[in-house]
Amino acid sequence: MDTVLPGQHVPAQHVNLKLGPGLLQTASSIIATRAGSLNHSANRSKWWVENNSRRYVPAPQESVIGVIVQKAGEGFRVDIGSAHTASLDGLAFEGATKRNKPNLKIGNIVYARLSLAHKDMEPELECFDAQTHKAEGFGELKGGFMVRCSLRMCRQLLDSKHFLLPLLGSRFPLEAAVGVNGRVWVSAKETREVIAISRCIEGVDPDGGGMEEADVVELLTTMGL
Amino acid sequence: MASTSRRTGRDSTQLRALQTSLDGLARVDGSARFGFGTTAALSSISGPIEVRLAAEHPSLAAFEVLLRPLSNVPTTQSKSLAATLRSALLPSLILTQNPRTLIQLVVQSLSKGTSDALVAAMLNSSTLALLNAGSIPMRSVVCAVAVGRKKSTSEFIVDPEEEEEPSLASHGCFAFSFANGDARCVWTNWRSGSAAVVFDEKELAEAKDVALDAAREVFMHIQKVCRAMEGDDESDEEDDDKMVVS
Repeated sequence: MDTVLPGQHVPAQHVNLKLGPGLLQTASSIIATRAGSLNHSANRSKWWVENNSRRYVPAPQESVIGVIVQKAGEGFRVDIGSAHTASLDGLAFEGATKRNKPNLKIGNIVYARLSLAHKDMEPELECFDAQTHKAEGFGELKGGFMVRCSLRMCRQLLDSKHFLLPLLGSRFPLEAAVGVNGRVWVSAKETREVIAISRCIEGVDPDGGGMEEADVVELLTTMGL
Repeated sequence: MASTSRRTGRDSTQLRALQTSLDGLARVDGSARFGFGTTAALSSISGPIEVRLAAEHPSLAAFEVLLRPLSNVPTTQSKSLAATLRSALLPSLILTQNPRTLIQLVVQSLSKGTSDALVAAMLNSSTLALLNAGSIPMRSVVCAVAVGRKKSTSEFIVDPEEEEEPSLASHGCFAFSFANGDARCVWTNWRSGSAAVVFDEKELAEAKDVALDAAREVFMHIQKVCRAMEGDDESDEEDDDKMVVS
Protein backbone atom coordinates (compact mmCIF):
# COMPACT_ATOMS: atom_id res chain seq x y z
CA MET A 1 0.00 0.00 0.00
CA ASP A 2 2.95 2.30 -0.68
CA THR A 3 2.49 5.56 -2.54
CA VAL A 4 4.47 5.45 -5.76
CA LEU A 5 5.41 8.20 -8.20
CA PRO A 6 5.82 7.86 -11.97
CA GLY A 7 9.09 6.27 -12.95
CA GLN A 8 9.46 4.40 -9.69
CA HIS A 9 10.53 0.76 -10.05
CA VAL A 10 8.01 -1.76 -8.79
CA PRO A 11 9.20 -5.08 -7.31
CA ALA A 12 6.61 -7.16 -9.17
CA GLN A 13 7.77 -10.68 -9.88
CA HIS A 14 5.70 -13.79 -10.47
CA VAL A 15 5.45 -16.69 -12.88
CA ASN A 16 2.04 -15.51 -14.14
CA LEU A 17 2.49 -11.78 -13.63
CA LYS A 18 -0.42 -9.55 -14.70
CA LEU A 19 0.10 -5.78 -14.72
CA GLY A 20 -3.00 -3.69 -14.09
CA PRO A 21 -3.66 0.05 -14.54
CA GLY A 22 -0.77 2.37 -13.78
CA LEU A 23 2.09 -0.04 -14.46
CA LEU A 24 4.26 -0.39 -17.52
CA GLN A 25 6.88 -2.93 -18.47
CA THR A 26 10.00 -1.29 -19.87
CA ALA A 27 13.12 -2.94 -21.24
CA SER A 28 14.82 -3.08 -17.86
CA SER A 29 12.04 -3.15 -15.26
CA ILE A 30 8.44 -2.49 -14.34
CA ILE A 31 7.66 1.15 -13.56
CA ALA A 32 4.65 2.99 -12.20
CA THR A 33 3.15 5.47 -14.67
CA ARG A 34 1.03 7.44 -12.23
CA ALA A 35 1.03 8.70 -8.66
CA GLY A 36 -1.04 6.48 -6.40
CA SER A 37 -1.07 3.52 -4.02
CA LEU A 38 0.63 0.37 -5.23
CA ASN A 39 -1.56 -2.70 -4.66
CA HIS A 40 -1.19 -6.37 -5.43
CA SER A 41 -3.31 -9.49 -5.10
CA ALA A 42 -2.79 -11.97 -2.26
CA ASN A 43 -0.60 -14.28 -4.31
CA ARG A 44 1.34 -11.33 -5.81
CA SER A 45 0.48 -12.22 -9.39
CA LYS A 46 -1.69 -9.14 -10.10
CA TRP A 47 -0.26 -5.67 -9.48
CA TRP A 48 -1.80 -2.25 -10.06
CA VAL A 49 -1.60 1.41 -9.00
CA GLU A 50 -4.78 2.80 -7.51
CA ASN A 51 -5.47 6.52 -7.84
CA ASN A 52 -8.28 8.98 -8.37
CA SER A 53 -8.94 10.82 -11.61
CA ARG A 54 -11.77 12.58 -13.35
CA ARG A 55 -11.14 11.67 -16.99
CA TYR A 56 -12.21 8.22 -18.18
CA VAL A 57 -9.93 6.18 -20.44
CA PRO A 58 -11.85 3.23 -21.96
CA ALA A 59 -10.90 -0.33 -21.03
CA PRO A 60 -12.59 -3.49 -22.36
CA GLN A 61 -15.54 -5.13 -20.57
CA GLU A 62 -16.23 -2.12 -18.35
CA SER A 63 -19.83 -1.03 -17.73
CA VAL A 64 -20.37 2.61 -18.54
CA ILE A 65 -23.18 5.12 -18.77
CA GLY A 66 -23.41 6.87 -22.11
CA VAL A 67 -25.52 9.59 -23.67
CA ILE A 68 -26.69 9.22 -27.29
CA VAL A 69 -25.36 12.17 -29.29
CA GLN A 70 -26.02 11.10 -32.86
CA LYS A 71 -27.77 8.52 -34.96
CA ALA A 72 -25.23 7.07 -37.35
CA GLY A 73 -26.64 4.74 -39.97
CA GLU A 74 -27.27 1.37 -38.39
CA GLY A 75 -26.36 2.46 -34.89
CA PHE A 76 -25.68 5.34 -32.56
CA ARG A 77 -22.76 7.48 -31.44
CA VAL A 78 -22.55 7.60 -27.66
CA ASP A 79 -20.66 10.01 -25.42
CA ILE A 80 -19.01 8.07 -22.58
CA GLY A 81 -16.75 10.85 -21.32
CA SER A 82 -13.64 9.63 -23.09
CA ALA A 83 -11.63 11.44 -25.77
CA HIS A 84 -13.54 9.70 -28.58
CA THR A 85 -17.27 9.00 -28.86
CA ALA A 86 -18.16 5.33 -28.80
CA SER A 87 -20.28 3.53 -31.37
CA LEU A 88 -23.27 1.43 -30.35
CA ASP A 89 -24.70 -0.83 -33.01
CA GLY A 90 -28.48 -0.88 -33.39
CA LEU A 91 -28.50 -4.67 -33.16
CA ALA A 92 -26.39 -4.82 -29.98
CA PHE A 93 -29.44 -5.21 -27.76
CA GLU A 94 -31.21 -8.28 -26.43
CA GLY A 95 -33.86 -9.47 -28.87
CA ALA A 96 -33.00 -6.91 -31.53
CA THR A 97 -33.56 -7.78 -35.17
CA LYS A 98 -33.39 -5.76 -38.36
CA ARG A 99 -37.12 -5.10 -38.07
CA ASN A 100 -37.14 -4.60 -34.32
CA LYS A 101 -34.45 -2.09 -33.39
CA PRO A 102 -34.45 -0.02 -30.19
CA ASN A 103 -36.02 3.40 -30.56
CA LEU A 104 -33.34 5.56 -28.96
CA LYS A 105 -33.35 9.33 -29.36
CA ILE A 106 -30.55 11.88 -29.02
CA GLY A 107 -30.12 12.64 -25.33
CA ASN A 108 -31.22 9.22 -24.11
CA ILE A 109 -29.08 7.57 -21.47
CA VAL A 110 -27.88 3.98 -21.90
CA TYR A 111 -26.07 1.55 -19.63
CA ALA A 112 -23.69 -0.39 -21.84
CA ARG A 113 -20.59 -2.55 -21.80
CA LEU A 114 -17.41 -1.74 -23.70
CA SER A 115 -16.91 -4.61 -26.10
CA LEU A 116 -13.93 -3.00 -27.80
CA ALA A 117 -11.56 -0.51 -26.19
CA HIS A 118 -8.25 -0.22 -27.98
CA LYS A 119 -6.08 2.87 -28.09
CA ASP A 120 -5.97 2.93 -31.89
CA MET A 121 -9.68 2.36 -32.52
CA GLU A 122 -12.79 4.15 -31.41
CA PRO A 123 -14.55 2.37 -28.53
CA GLU A 124 -17.53 0.11 -29.22
CA LEU A 125 -20.44 -0.60 -26.90
CA GLU A 126 -22.91 -3.44 -26.48
CA CYS A 127 -26.09 -3.53 -24.42
CA PHE A 128 -26.06 -7.15 -23.37
CA ASP A 129 -23.98 -9.37 -21.13
CA ALA A 130 -20.91 -10.89 -22.77
CA GLN A 131 -21.63 -14.52 -21.83
CA THR A 132 -25.41 -14.82 -21.65
CA HIS A 133 -26.30 -12.32 -24.42
CA LYS A 134 -29.24 -11.22 -22.27
CA ALA A 135 -29.86 -7.61 -21.24
CA GLU A 136 -28.87 -8.12 -17.55
CA GLY A 137 -29.57 -4.48 -16.74
CA PHE A 138 -27.92 -3.01 -19.84
CA GLY A 139 -29.95 -0.91 -22.25
CA GLU A 140 -31.85 2.33 -22.09
CA LEU A 141 -32.25 4.01 -18.68
CA LYS A 142 -35.61 5.71 -18.69
CA GLY A 143 -36.32 8.77 -16.56
CA GLY A 144 -34.00 9.46 -13.66
CA PHE A 145 -31.07 11.81 -13.39
CA MET A 146 -27.37 11.49 -14.16
CA VAL A 147 -24.82 12.53 -11.52
CA ARG A 148 -21.14 13.14 -12.29
CA CYS A 149 -18.48 12.05 -9.83
CA SER A 150 -14.81 11.07 -9.72
CA LEU A 151 -13.68 7.64 -10.92
CA ARG A 152 -12.71 6.51 -7.45
CA MET A 153 -16.20 7.36 -6.18
CA CYS A 154 -17.71 5.13 -8.87
CA ARG A 155 -15.49 2.25 -7.87
CA GLN A 156 -16.49 2.78 -4.24
CA LEU A 157 -20.18 2.79 -5.15
CA LEU A 158 -19.73 -0.49 -7.02
CA ASP A 159 -18.20 -2.06 -3.90
CA SER A 160 -20.96 -3.93 -2.08
CA LYS A 161 -19.34 -3.14 1.27
CA HIS A 162 -19.53 0.64 0.79
CA PHE A 163 -22.06 2.35 3.05
CA LEU A 164 -23.72 4.97 0.83
CA LEU A 165 -26.22 3.18 -1.42
CA PRO A 166 -27.53 0.81 1.28
CA LEU A 167 -27.88 3.79 3.62
CA LEU A 168 -29.88 5.78 1.06
CA GLY A 169 -31.90 2.69 0.15
CA SER A 170 -32.92 2.26 3.76
CA ARG A 171 -34.44 5.76 3.78
CA PHE A 172 -36.37 5.65 0.52
CA PRO A 173 -36.70 3.38 -2.51
CA LEU A 174 -34.26 4.22 -5.28
CA GLU A 175 -32.76 2.81 -8.44
CA ALA A 176 -29.14 3.41 -9.34
CA ALA A 177 -26.84 2.42 -12.19
CA VAL A 178 -23.14 3.08 -11.67
CA GLY A 179 -20.85 3.51 -14.64
CA VAL A 180 -17.09 3.37 -14.13
CA ASN A 181 -16.73 6.42 -16.36
CA GLY A 182 -17.56 8.86 -13.59
CA ARG A 183 -21.33 8.83 -14.10
CA VAL A 184 -24.11 7.51 -11.89
CA TRP A 185 -27.77 7.32 -12.99
CA VAL A 186 -30.26 7.58 -10.13
CA SER A 187 -34.01 7.43 -10.02
CA ALA A 188 -36.38 7.96 -7.10
CA LYS A 189 -40.04 8.86 -6.66
CA GLU A 190 -39.68 12.42 -5.38
CA THR A 191 -37.44 15.21 -6.66
CA ARG A 192 -36.00 15.97 -3.23
CA GLU A 193 -34.93 12.34 -2.91
CA VAL A 194 -33.02 12.60 -6.20
CA ILE A 195 -31.46 15.86 -4.98
CA ALA A 196 -30.48 14.16 -1.72
CA ILE A 197 -28.79 11.28 -3.56
CA SER A 198 -26.98 13.73 -5.81
CA ARG A 199 -25.75 15.83 -2.85
CA CYS A 200 -24.66 12.74 -0.92
CA ILE A 201 -22.65 11.41 -3.85
CA GLU A 202 -20.98 14.81 -4.28
CA GLY A 203 -20.22 14.96 -0.58
CA VAL A 204 -18.83 11.47 -0.17
CA ASP A 205 -16.71 11.85 -3.32
CA PRO A 206 -13.01 11.98 -2.32
CA ASP A 207 -12.71 15.14 -4.47
CA GLY A 208 -15.59 16.82 -2.69
CA GLY A 209 -14.40 16.30 0.87
CA GLY A 210 -14.97 12.59 1.48
CA MET A 211 -17.89 12.76 3.91
CA GLU A 212 -18.23 9.92 6.40
CA GLU A 213 -21.37 7.92 7.18
CA ALA A 214 -22.31 10.04 10.21
CA ASP A 215 -22.17 13.24 8.14
CA VAL A 216 -24.37 11.69 5.46
CA VAL A 217 -26.94 10.67 8.08
CA GLU A 218 -26.91 14.25 9.39
CA LEU A 219 -27.38 15.65 5.89
CA LEU A 220 -30.31 13.36 5.22
CA THR A 221 -31.93 14.30 8.52
CA THR A 222 -31.69 18.01 7.70
CA MET A 223 -33.39 17.26 4.38
CA GLY A 224 -36.18 15.46 6.19
CA LEU A 225 -35.47 12.00 4.76
CA MET B 1 29.03 27.48 3.34
CA ALA B 2 26.33 29.50 5.06
CA SER B 3 26.03 33.14 4.12
CA THR B 4 23.49 35.62 5.43
CA SER B 5 24.22 38.35 2.93
CA ARG B 6 20.83 37.73 1.25
CA ARG B 7 18.06 40.23 1.73
CA THR B 8 15.74 38.06 3.77
CA GLY B 9 18.54 36.42 5.71
CA ARG B 10 18.23 33.17 3.79
CA ASP B 11 21.06 30.71 3.38
CA SER B 12 22.66 30.54 -0.04
CA THR B 13 21.14 27.09 -0.58
CA GLN B 14 17.83 27.77 1.12
CA LEU B 15 14.57 27.85 -0.81
CA ARG B 16 11.69 30.09 0.17
CA ALA B 17 8.75 28.35 1.87
CA LEU B 18 7.08 26.12 -0.74
CA GLN B 19 3.36 26.78 -1.02
CA THR B 20 1.33 24.08 -2.74
CA SER B 21 -2.36 23.52 -3.04
CA LEU B 22 -4.38 21.05 -5.09
CA ASP B 23 -7.15 23.39 -6.05
CA GLY B 24 -9.71 21.08 -7.59
CA LEU B 25 -10.78 23.45 -10.36
CA ALA B 26 -14.23 22.50 -11.56
CA ARG B 27 -14.05 21.84 -15.29
CA VAL B 28 -10.60 20.36 -15.71
CA ASP B 29 -9.13 16.95 -14.98
CA GLY B 30 -6.35 18.07 -12.64
CA SER B 31 -5.06 21.33 -11.18
CA ALA B 32 -2.42 22.51 -8.77
CA ARG B 33 -0.83 25.66 -7.47
CA PHE B 34 2.88 25.89 -6.62
CA GLY B 35 4.85 28.82 -5.23
CA PHE B 36 8.30 29.69 -3.99
CA GLY B 37 7.08 32.10 -1.33
CA THR B 38 4.87 34.56 -3.22
CA THR B 39 6.26 33.71 -6.67
CA ALA B 40 3.55 31.31 -7.73
CA ALA B 41 1.73 29.78 -10.69
CA LEU B 42 -1.49 27.81 -11.12
CA SER B 43 -1.70 24.99 -13.68
CA SER B 44 -4.60 22.95 -14.94
CA ILE B 45 -4.56 19.81 -17.05
CA SER B 46 -7.26 18.32 -19.23
CA GLY B 47 -6.63 15.03 -20.95
CA PRO B 48 -6.87 12.80 -22.80
CA ILE B 49 -9.63 14.82 -24.49
CA GLU B 50 -10.91 15.32 -28.02
CA VAL B 51 -8.39 16.90 -30.37
CA ARG B 52 -9.08 19.09 -33.38
CA LEU B 53 -8.26 17.45 -36.70
CA ALA B 54 -5.30 19.70 -37.49
CA ALA B 55 -3.45 18.74 -34.31
CA GLU B 56 -4.33 15.04 -34.37
CA HIS B 57 -1.38 12.63 -34.48
CA PRO B 58 -1.96 8.98 -35.46
CA SER B 59 0.30 7.42 -32.84
CA LEU B 60 0.77 10.07 -30.16
CA ALA B 61 -1.30 12.29 -27.93
CA ALA B 62 -0.90 15.98 -28.79
CA PHE B 63 0.51 18.00 -25.89
CA GLU B 64 -0.47 21.64 -25.91
CA VAL B 65 0.62 24.31 -23.42
CA LEU B 66 -1.17 27.63 -23.01
CA LEU B 67 0.28 30.33 -20.80
CA ARG B 68 -1.56 33.26 -19.35
CA PRO B 69 0.36 36.13 -17.72
CA LEU B 70 -0.88 37.80 -14.55
CA SER B 71 -2.26 40.79 -16.39
CA ASN B 72 -3.02 41.66 -19.99
CA VAL B 73 -3.65 39.28 -22.85
CA PRO B 74 -1.08 36.60 -23.65
CA THR B 75 1.76 38.03 -25.74
CA THR B 76 4.51 36.60 -27.88
CA GLN B 77 6.60 36.17 -24.74
CA SER B 78 3.86 33.96 -23.28
CA LYS B 79 3.88 31.88 -26.42
CA SER B 80 7.66 31.51 -26.24
CA LEU B 81 7.60 30.58 -22.57
CA ALA B 82 4.80 28.08 -23.23
CA ALA B 83 6.99 26.42 -25.85
CA THR B 84 9.86 26.09 -23.34
CA LEU B 85 7.52 24.64 -20.69
CA ARG B 86 6.35 22.13 -23.27
CA SER B 87 9.89 21.05 -24.13
CA ALA B 88 10.78 20.64 -20.45
CA LEU B 89 7.71 18.54 -19.65
CA LEU B 90 7.65 16.42 -22.81
CA PRO B 91 10.32 13.90 -21.67
CA SER B 92 8.23 12.96 -18.64
CA LEU B 93 5.02 12.10 -20.52
CA ILE B 94 4.19 8.79 -22.18
CA LEU B 95 2.19 10.00 -25.17
CA THR B 96 1.95 6.72 -27.07
CA GLN B 97 -0.77 5.26 -24.86
CA ASN B 98 -3.45 7.72 -25.95
CA PRO B 99 -3.02 8.41 -29.68
CA ARG B 100 -5.30 10.87 -31.48
CA THR B 101 -6.15 12.72 -28.29
CA LEU B 102 -5.13 16.03 -26.72
CA ILE B 103 -3.47 16.78 -23.41
CA GLN B 104 -3.99 20.45 -22.69
CA LEU B 105 -2.01 22.29 -20.03
CA VAL B 106 -3.04 25.81 -19.09
CA VAL B 107 -0.66 27.73 -16.85
CA GLN B 108 -1.82 30.89 -15.11
CA SER B 109 0.96 33.07 -13.76
CA LEU B 110 0.15 34.42 -10.29
CA SER B 111 3.12 36.81 -10.12
CA LYS B 112 4.33 39.65 -12.28
CA GLY B 113 7.12 39.33 -14.81
CA THR B 114 8.99 36.25 -16.00
CA SER B 115 11.76 35.69 -13.47
CA ASP B 116 13.59 32.36 -13.32
CA ALA B 117 11.83 31.50 -10.06
CA LEU B 118 8.47 32.03 -11.74
CA VAL B 119 9.42 29.73 -14.62
CA ALA B 120 10.46 27.13 -12.05
CA ALA B 121 7.15 27.59 -10.21
CA MET B 122 5.27 27.12 -13.49
CA LEU B 123 7.10 23.86 -14.20
CA ASN B 124 6.51 22.55 -10.69
CA SER B 125 2.83 23.45 -10.71
CA SER B 126 2.45 21.73 -14.10
CA THR B 127 4.05 18.58 -12.72
CA LEU B 128 1.73 18.63 -9.73
CA ALA B 129 -1.31 19.17 -11.95
CA LEU B 130 -0.28 16.18 -14.09
CA LEU B 131 0.13 14.02 -10.99
CA ASN B 132 -3.22 15.24 -9.67
CA ALA B 133 -5.01 14.44 -12.93
CA GLY B 134 -3.84 10.83 -12.89
CA SER B 135 -5.15 10.06 -16.36
CA ILE B 136 -1.97 10.81 -18.31
CA PRO B 137 0.75 8.16 -18.03
CA MET B 138 4.14 9.56 -17.05
CA ARG B 139 7.63 8.10 -16.89
CA SER B 140 9.18 10.66 -14.53
CA VAL B 141 8.52 13.75 -12.43
CA VAL B 142 9.95 17.11 -13.54
CA CYS B 143 11.09 19.50 -10.80
CA ALA B 144 12.67 22.88 -11.40
CA VAL B 145 14.53 25.50 -9.41
CA ALA B 146 16.19 28.85 -10.14
CA VAL B 147 19.88 29.45 -9.38
CA GLY B 148 22.09 32.51 -9.60
CA ARG B 149 25.72 33.45 -9.08
CA LYS B 150 26.40 36.62 -7.16
CA LYS B 151 28.61 39.28 -8.75
CA SER B 152 30.16 40.30 -5.42
CA THR B 153 31.12 36.94 -3.92
CA SER B 154 30.90 34.58 -6.93
CA GLU B 155 28.93 32.14 -4.78
CA PHE B 156 25.85 30.33 -6.04
CA ILE B 157 22.49 31.14 -4.49
CA VAL B 158 19.32 29.15 -4.83
CA ASP B 159 15.85 30.56 -5.61
CA PRO B 160 16.84 34.23 -6.09
CA GLU B 161 14.03 36.69 -5.56
CA GLU B 162 13.23 39.27 -8.22
CA GLU B 163 15.03 41.97 -6.18
CA GLU B 164 18.19 39.88 -6.04
CA GLU B 165 18.45 39.44 -9.82
CA PRO B 166 20.32 42.70 -10.60
CA SER B 167 23.13 41.59 -8.25
CA LEU B 168 23.68 38.33 -10.15
CA ALA B 169 26.50 37.80 -12.63
CA SER B 170 24.76 34.87 -14.30
CA HIS B 171 21.51 33.11 -13.51
CA GLY B 172 19.03 30.63 -14.86
CA CYS B 173 16.47 27.94 -14.16
CA PHE B 174 17.23 24.21 -14.23
CA ALA B 175 14.62 21.49 -14.68
CA PHE B 176 15.36 17.90 -13.69
CA SER B 177 13.44 14.75 -14.45
CA PHE B 178 13.29 12.45 -11.39
CA ALA B 179 12.63 8.74 -11.84
CA ASN B 180 13.33 6.10 -9.25
CA GLY B 181 15.88 8.20 -7.39
CA ASP B 182 17.79 9.23 -10.54
CA ALA B 183 17.75 12.80 -11.78
CA ARG B 184 18.58 14.08 -15.24
CA CYS B 185 18.63 17.66 -16.39
CA VAL B 186 16.00 18.17 -19.10
CA TRP B 187 16.07 21.94 -19.54
CA THR B 188 18.05 25.02 -18.57
CA ASN B 189 18.29 28.67 -19.54
CA TRP B 190 21.51 29.58 -17.76
CA ARG B 191 22.70 32.92 -19.08
CA SER B 192 24.85 35.87 -18.10
CA GLY B 193 22.96 38.63 -16.36
CA SER B 194 24.86 41.72 -17.42
CA ALA B 195 27.31 43.08 -19.93
CA ALA B 196 30.87 41.76 -19.97
CA VAL B 197 30.01 38.69 -17.93
CA VAL B 198 30.86 35.36 -19.50
CA PHE B 199 30.55 31.83 -18.20
CA ASP B 200 32.15 28.53 -19.14
CA GLU B 201 31.20 24.85 -18.97
CA LYS B 202 32.71 24.54 -15.49
CA GLU B 203 30.41 27.21 -14.10
CA LEU B 204 27.41 25.67 -15.84
CA ALA B 205 28.25 22.28 -14.32
CA GLU B 206 28.64 23.79 -10.84
CA ALA B 207 25.36 25.65 -11.18
CA LYS B 208 23.67 22.42 -12.25
CA ASP B 209 24.94 20.62 -9.15
CA VAL B 210 23.68 23.38 -6.87
CA ALA B 211 20.34 23.29 -8.65
CA LEU B 212 20.07 19.50 -8.38
CA ASP B 213 20.28 19.58 -4.59
CA ALA B 214 17.55 22.19 -4.38
CA ALA B 215 15.41 20.41 -6.98
CA ARG B 216 15.61 17.26 -4.89
CA GLU B 217 14.00 19.19 -2.03
CA VAL B 218 11.21 20.25 -4.36
CA PHE B 219 10.81 16.63 -5.47
CA MET B 220 10.52 15.43 -1.87
CA HIS B 221 7.89 18.07 -1.21
CA ILE B 222 5.92 16.93 -4.25
CA GLN B 223 6.24 13.37 -2.99
CA LYS B 224 4.74 14.50 0.34
CA VAL B 225 1.86 16.17 -1.47
CA CYS B 226 1.17 12.98 -3.46
CA ARG B 227 1.17 10.91 -0.28
CA ALA B 228 -1.33 13.32 1.28
CA MET B 229 -3.42 13.10 -1.91
CA GLU B 230 -3.65 9.34 -1.43
CA GLY B 231 -4.44 9.71 2.25
CA ASP B 232 -1.16 8.08 3.21
CA ASP B 233 -0.50 9.26 6.77
CA GLU B 234 3.08 10.30 7.40
CA SER B 235 4.47 10.85 10.86
CA ASP B 236 7.54 12.67 9.56
CA GLU B 237 7.22 16.11 11.15
CA GLU B 238 10.87 17.12 10.65
CA ASP B 239 10.77 19.84 8.04
CA ASP B 240 7.10 20.77 8.21
CA ASP B 241 7.79 24.30 9.42
CA LYS B 242 9.41 25.12 6.12
CA MET B 243 6.82 23.56 3.86
CA VAL B 244 3.22 24.61 3.64
CA VAL B 245 0.83 22.06 2.16
CA SER B 246 -2.86 22.72 1.94
